[in-house]
Amino acid sequence: MEKKNSDSQVIVVTSGKGGVGKTTTVANVSTGLAKLGYSVVVMDLDIGLKKLDLILGLENRVIYDIIQVVEGECTLKQALVKDKRFPALYMLPAAQTRNKDDITTDQVLAVCNELKPDFDFILIDCPAGIEQGFRNSIAAADKAIVVTNPEVSAVRDADRIIGMLESANFKDIKLLINRLRPDMVRSGDMLSIEDLMEHLCIELLGVVPEDSGVVISTNRGEPIILNDRSSAAQAFNNVVHRLLGKEVEFMNIEQDSFWSKLKRNLGFKH
Amino acid sequence: MFDFLKKVFSNDETSSRSRANDRLRVVLTHDRIGSSSQLMETLQEEIIALIARHIEIEGTPEVHFITEGRHTALDISIPLKGR
Repeated sequence: MEKKNSDSQVIVVTSGKGGVGKTTTVANVSTGLAKLGYSVVVMDLDIGLKKLDLILGLENRVIYDIIQVVEGECTLKQALVKDKRFPALYMLPAAQTRNKDDITTDQVLAVCNELKPDFDFILIDCPAGIEQGFRNSIAAADKAIVVTNPEVSAVRDADRIIGMLESANFKDIKLLINRLRPDMVRSGDMLSIEDLMEHLCIELLGVVPEDSGVVISTNRGEPIILNDRSSAAQAFNNVVHRLLGKEVEFMNIEQDSFWSKLKRNLGFKH
Repeated sequence: MFDFLKKVFSNDETSSRSRANDRLRVVLTHDRIGSSSQLMETLQEEIIALIARHIEIEGTPEVHFITEGRHTALDISIPLKGR
């Protein structure tokens, strides 16, 4: 493994509410970073309900898990699963038959510190909720990505999570809006990017439009970011570049002209 | 015909999106300060009672939360009776 930078970034991906796309975000952002040659490890802390191995298509390669590492049954190196596509990407699997209380924040910190010398990025897949699993996930991180959907319940939970991250002294908290449907925003039936920014008041990292390709890529175990033609892939690519400090313009997905508005209301599909 | 023109030019005040925004504004304000929606009524009653003990109030006092960014303040407006 070759590290590009001398220091490492530890980023937690969290949301409060389940099912908004945390694991999908972790899988795509980590794949995107690895594609650019950064050495990346993803840590699945959703112990008892693991998904990341499936989304990355690595479920058949898992031998050990993070609980076995902290309990001394194997070494950290033995537990790391190498990605099929990118040699710079590794995954540290969660345990499926244990629970969130089987690992302490100190143990997570220790694992992270052991990973830092070898990786540019450590991405943590945080479980839903605000309990022990959440506390473990944020303990070692210095940056946070809050994933939300344009939907009242997800926004409320995101707001709570942002509050908790601020209390935990996080200075770098960014918002990722997932599953936006531009057609619904335009017809007045979905919260817009602007609405979400007004409610949550944190920096925007990216907007991923709803894309049926995500389901298909999940079925196959291939992150959608590898499919160049999809709009979600483009959005995730932009997120990756923004994480690397580049200024990338936001896609104009909500914009609608007078004529398409007229056509839609006359019953034509746009 | 009018229906669709109304739709094209409407500013969506009754849309589900604006309902969602209104509901979120209220719920997030209360979530952030850890209060219930009942608090507003209680506050209004108690503040008015306190002020009314010393000065005469005219009209209906108003109590609102105002938010700026992630911060919240209490905005109290009490019209007083002039002589």
